[in-house]
Amino acid sequence: MSASDNSDRALAFARTFAIAAPLIYVVCELMNWPVFTYHPGTGRLDWGFASPVRDEGPAMYWFGWNLAMIFGGALIAGLAALAPGLARRLPLAASWIFALACIPLYLYALRFYWSH
Amino acid sequence: MELVHTVMSETTFWTVLLMIHGLLSMALIGALTHQAASVLRAPAPGAGGLVARFGSVKGDLYASAVTGLWVASFLFGAWIYIKYRTYIRIPIEQEEFWKTLGAFEMKEQLASIGLGLLPLYWLAWRRSYDKSLQATRKWLTLTLALFGWIAFLVGHVVNNVRGFGS
Repeated sequence: MSASDNSDRALAFARTFAIAAPLIYVVCELMNWPVFTYHPGTGRLDWGFASPVRDEGPAMYWFGWNLAMIFGGALIAGLAALAPGLARRLPLAASWIFALACIPLYLYALRFYWSH
Repeated sequence: MELVHTVMSETTFWTVLLMIHGLLSMALIGALTHQAASVLRAPAPGAGGLVARFGSVKGDLYASAVTGLWVASFLFGAWIYIKYRTYIRIPIEQEEFWKTLGAFEMKEQLASIGLGLLPLYWLAWRRSYDKSLQATRKWLTLTLALFGWIAFLVGHVVNNVRGFGS
């Protein structure tokens, strides 16, 4: 494998990850699909979504969404790196356009907080 | 953790972590702001004013620092987030500071989305000779700078509501 091939694969990975990872994060966050739930009061971990347990404090999902983003994004980007020609069809602009679009998206999704 | 608490109290320990997180974030937005200025307005040769010098940095030298600082700040933020969720957020809910809570929700989402952009951002700057990545470098830098500033300012507000010494 030449240095040029490696370079193409690295760019294919980065390009795909920059689009897939934020998308996975936003979907998991909005649908409430964490890989795991952390209960900081007791230190317990549950797979997937778990509701807070009475008298045991809150449940945390943010870590589970991030894990979904990192592993899901890496898996898809890893597959894209095997076919850099296909990945090249993904528009680079999609990465920052989607990221910037998340600002109005979350302003709307979090409207409960602004209206109180 | 037991060993750490023999040296300092639990409150001091978490305060130190919060300060490290804050200092890393300050360094991060400093670097990102310089880099954003450099992609927005390349200074004319020989320009010597303060504004021109502010944007005259070589953006590619900042990319690794920005990537490393974003990851480090994210990890420290994730660590203290556990404390925030149990000891900071609940009292803020009880005091009904809903906009502060919403802003913090926004901050945590933008920090994660920014993390996802880092590999492409870093690679685009590593290939600063590649003209086809010029728009990618510019827009990812501006996006990360915007996210970094929002996260920094929101963190500052949350700290003012219930941070050091509370």
